[in-house]
Amino acid sequence: MKNFIILTALFFSSHFTSVINAANVGLPADMSDRYCTTCHGAEGVGNIAVQAPRLAGMEGWYLQRQLENFREGIRGIHTDDIQGIAMQAMAAKLTEASIADIVSWVGAWEFVAADVTIEGNVNRGRTAYQICASCHGANAEGNEALGAPALAGQNDWYLLTQINNFRAGIRGTHQDDSFGVQMRTMSATLRDDQAIINVVSYINTLQK
Amino acid sequence: MTNSVSRREFLNLLGAYGGSSAVLSAGAALGLMPVASQAAEISLSSQSSNGKSVAILGTGISALVTAWELTKAGYNCTVLEASHRAGGRIFTVRSGTVIDEIGNYQRCDWDDEPHLYFNAGAARIPSIHNSVLSYCKELGVELQVFANESKTGWVQDDAMNGGKPVRNTDYSSSMTGFISEMLAKSLNAEEMDSSLTESESETLLGMLRSFGDLDEDMLYRGSIRAGYRSGGFLDHGTKKDVIALRDLLKTRLANNVMTTTQEGTGSGPLLMQPVGGMDRIIYAFANRLGARIEFRSPVTAVMVNNNGVEVAYEQEGVPKSLKVDYCFNCIPSHLMSGIPNNFPMEYIEALNYIRRGKAYKAAFQAKERFWEKENIYGGISWINAPIRQIWYPPHGIHKEKGVVLSAYNFGGANFTEMTQEQRIESFISSGEKIHPNYRQMVEKPITIAWHRMNHMLGCAPRWSRSRGGWSEHEEQMYTTLRQPVNGRHYLIGDQSTQHSAWMESAIQSAHYALADFDQRVRTEEA
Repeated sequence: MKNFIILTALFFSSHFTSVINAANVGLPADMSDRYCTTCHGAEGVGNIAVQAPRLAGMEGWYLQRQLENFREGIRGIHTDDIQGIAMQAMAAKLTEASIADIVSWVGAWEFVAADVTIEGNVNRGRTAYQICASCHGANAEGNEALGAPALAGQNDWYLLTQINNFRAGIRGTHQDDSFGVQMRTMSATLRDDQAIINVVSYINTLQK
Repeated sequence: MTNSVSRREFLNLLGAYGGSSAVLSAGAALGLMPVASQAAEISLSSQSSNGKSVAILGTGISALVTAWELTKAGYNCTVLEASHRAGGRIFTVRSGTVIDEIGNYQRCDWDDEPHLYFNAGAARIPSIHNSVLSYCKELGVELQVFANESKTGWVQDDAMNGGKPVRNTDYSSSMTGFISEMLAKSLNAEEMDSSLTESESETLLGMLRSFGDLDEDMLYRGSIRAGYRSGGFLDHGTKKDVIALRDLLKTRLANNVMTTTQEGTGSGPLLMQPVGGMDRIIYAFANRLGARIEFRSPVTAVMVNNNGVEVAYEQEGVPKSLKVDYCFNCIPSHLMSGIPNNFPMEYIEALNYIRRGKAYKAAFQAKERFWEKENIYGGISWINAPIRQIWYPPHGIHKEKGVVLSAYNFGGANFTEMTQEQRIESFISSGEKIHPNYRQMVEKPITIAWHRMNHMLGCAPRWSRSRGGWSEHEEQMYTTLRQPVNGRHYLIGDQSTQHSAWMESAIQSAHYALADFDQRVRTEEA
């Protein structure tokens, strides 16, 4: 009888374990911080529905700087920056090693230019872009020496949001964000919403 | 402060909302059947399954139902799940559970006891949700009653009663009494006399007297339904004081307190839950599907062609792909927006349109079952604060500890943007307005912000952008998403329904898709 009870107990406990395992494989002990694709899309293509920009093709030095800015609370702390706040919470936990890992992981994704979703007056945009070109390059290809990232191929809706954020002081106001502060000044040259739409439309025509 | 409401005040109020004509012309509703029971079972042709392969994307309950029904009919199914666990928004937290929130990874370390669990997503099964109940029966998932309301629960609003909580029963008895009193007064008005026969008026008055526990003068002067102030067993009970209507109206929590037990849309006094946690349903499916489910396999592309569907995915960083005849997809629409596909433009437009719902919950292991000492054995306390609700577990009565739901805000995101420490302080400081020893009772708190959960990024999908209902454009997009792409790719889940946030809706979306699919394969075979 005693054996029977032990056997029964064993049967039920192992049965219970297998039931649990069938629905839950558990997480590896050394879980990495490779969360990027949940928000930023498969292979970092960007996701308009959660307003997460394209990472595929982003320069490693720029990605690293932004991850560090988010981590240090230089970016993503303004109450109106809903997406930035989500990113800040994620980045706050990153170590040097996981930032390096993410930069190398993202660097392996193939760059494919984003779909065009914004259309404005390209000619007017071209004129306005001349100021931008001094840092971001004539083809919006970026300039590491000046700390200016590539714009060509990035999601146009993201460019629009960020220019608006700079203009509204949601981004580029932290004293430790020298490039952001510079960008905030430059964004003031775009007089109104239509001017921003025009310049983004022109960037849409450029090839990285 | 007066306790009574003048007839003039009430009639003015009625007039503002269009009088009573709508109520009096409602006779058409009588004699209608209750909500027609949807077919809870589906029967697929096993003749048509020969050698056909199906990919099911995600493991929300719509996906598991689909995989289970197709497997029973002989189809060759592969289920791809991005995360480490099955179930989507059916998620139970217990000892050892990982809460994979982006930026706020948590591992639950509550005591390992069967009654110490927390349903962080789906938590209640109404008795009219036939498909859920039918699968619980088929799969042998044991159910127990879940108490959705306890009249001994509390109602707390800083604006009412000096911020001191009142019992639900004190609140609701008084409110019911005053509503009855006001209606009884209006019934004596000439306007009403001309609309109702004498007999109808008498019936209505009798019901109002009983409903509100009115006195002989048809006035509400308190009720023993609120419980006794003293006595009641060995001695005669004495009534409690009435809470003045004007005091009741200082809180808008009446919207919740007075409607918790309405069955129609899914809530109700008697609901059900699986013994041991809502994920018992998930385990029941997953156990039967076994190795057909591949975990940590995020989908990276979905391409539909004339003969089938190609699904690209990753495992341990290695790219893989599946070529299948059909695909059923319950990946949240807002995540599909970030997965390359070749869906038609109008289909993508509809996917991008659906917004991800906001909701958060929190829970803790209580050192003692302090609520039982306050005569509470289940149900909800309502609080006018971001945490909105406290739920007391109806299971594990009189055991040493229990798990308390300490926040549940459906529609809010303020909690989401707080740090873990801020969230915990937020629910403790609100909760201790009701339970003075709350802070001391909190052990090992956890929080769930659905907007940040890995591979989810949202709670129940939101279709309509207007409180006035669905626009024609929204109805059109909904119709688009319910049609399979090329007859090969079906979108399922509560995102493909007009009543999201319920397991029943998700299951019915699977049945709807499966019925369409079955029709197509039968036609092809014929």
